[in-house]
Amino acid sequence: MPSHRSSDRIQTTTSGSFNAQVLDGKGPIAVEFMSYGCGHCRVIEPVLQQVAKLVESSEKVFRVNIGVEQELSERYEIQGTPTLIMFLDGSVVGRVEGPSPEVSSVLAEITQPFNS
Amino acid sequence: MQTPEQGKPILLFNDECGVCRRIAHWVRMSGETSIIERPIGDDADALRSLNPDLDIWDAYATIHLLMPDGSMKLGGEAVADILRSLPETRWFTWSFAVSIFGFRPFQALLNLAYTILADVRPVFGCESCGTPSPWVRPIRWVRKLFGGELNPTPTPHFTSISPAKRRQRVVVS
Repeated sequence: MPSHRSSDRIQTTTSGSFNAQVLDGKGPIAVEFMSYGCGHCRVIEPVLQQVAKLVESSEKVFRVNIGVEQELSERYEIQGTPTLIMFLDGSVVGRVEGPSPEVSSVLAEITQPFNS
Repeated sequence: MQTPEQGKPILLFNDECGVCRRIAHWVRMSGETSIIERPIGDDADALRSLNPDLDIWDAYATIHLLMPDGSMKLGGEAVADILRSLPETRWFTWSFAVSIFGFRPFQALLNLAYTILADVRPVFGCESCGTPSPWVRPIRWVRKLFGGELNPTPTPHFTSISPAKRRQRVVVS
């Protein structure tokens, strides 16, 4: 059974902290909308941890638990999980639903919107 | 360590899996049992307060039974304890303790049965299971084909929010 707990590099953001951490945040930020009961989120979790480590000098990665944060989920019209939304200086610049759970794929998905 | 709920074992069940909900319902309906059922839910910290070693991702992946002494039983071992607690099934659970040179054949069979059941959950309805094991995929495909549910999936690594959950979300907001 894979363990996902060792050194969590993805900070959980809530409706209370979302504005300060994401919308008022400077630079590239990726937010994963996820649910603990989602099998695909379970698979992508260790991959996203690796990607968060690779990009930690240039990009922040947060997670939003849609089971708890329903208002945020509504606001960003989340249709399912995992959904990654990329923000640059508070504005949405990219979005991907269900990326392939490989480091190269997720890395490309969360960095490309900032390069274009 | 005593669990908060009166020192009884706590069965954590996956409330986003139809098969798991049915099993939990069956346990509930099977008469007097000393086990408390609790959906895993969304709060990782609340789960960790029950047992510091309990990880919410692991809880969704495998059945967990939290014992009053602070230990946890997983998979087939947890199922054996649940069966021991139920009036209808406890009569045969002595067999799980039978050991031959340290090997428990009936417990091993139960572990295997649990593994198979966990794998085939997506066939019988598990909204949260994700991509099924390779050996289960053809069975699920055939079931969907005959059930008329074979719709093209926009992406294979994505779990759509169920209409029921979406309705619930609208009511909450």
